[in-house]
Amino acid sequence: MTVTVQFWSYFKDHTQCAATSLKLPDGATLADAHTAVIAQFPVLGDMRHSTLKAVGVDYQPDEFPLNDGDEISLFPPVQGG
Amino acid sequence: MKTQLTLTPGPIDELALIAEREMSDGMGAALVFNGVVRAQEDEVTIVAIDYEAFDDMACHQFELIFEEIDRQWPIESARVVHRVGVVPVNEPSLWVEIIAPHRAEAFEACQFLINAMKERVPIWKRPVGETSSTSSQAV
Repeated sequence: MTVTVQFWSYFKDHTQCAATSLKLPDGATLADAHTAVIAQFPVLGDMRHSTLKAVGVDYQPDEFPLNDGDEISLFPPVQGG
Repeated sequence: MKTQLTLTPGPIDELALIAEREMSDGMGAALVFNGVVRAQEDEVTIVAIDYEAFDDMACHQFELIFEEIDRQWPIESARVVHRVGVVPVNEPSLWVEIIAPHRAEAFEACQFLINAMKERVPIWKRPVGETSSTSSQAV
């Protein structure tokens, strides 16, 4: 399957791009996608445990099963207000 | 509960917002909160904060927060305006209005909304210093 990953806030600075695409095996989870992103952008590894993850417009847990075409977002803790 | 959410790059026009207020005669509390950009962030002097939002997700997460408020308190309406882009020091970046029968539920709902926003709504800020357009690190 192919999924897209969007980066927000200073994650964009670290990756020097706003988005990337990943090819993952069927049955891959959100955690698998996160691991693949860190392999591509090792700088994000230091922030692995504080990274917030969403699919579409909803937060999802690591075990969330991905589907072809899913839009993942990875970002640091939010800071509105 | 009536709700209204605005993410805007322009200044918050509080007088216009108050002029648009709808409040039935059973309501006894109209609570307004302004979140204003401070000149100090983490002990560093700044001139502004540059806000970035993941708009679609921010709107969805605010909707979920509104639904939680509606389940917990008898609120007649909740209106939220959050600025995006550069907001100078001393200007509001956040405006919240809660209309409720009594002050207790208005204060509780407002506090809940802002706390939940700071945990879940994907909006980020970057301090803008006097000598640079934006810093490279988020606050």
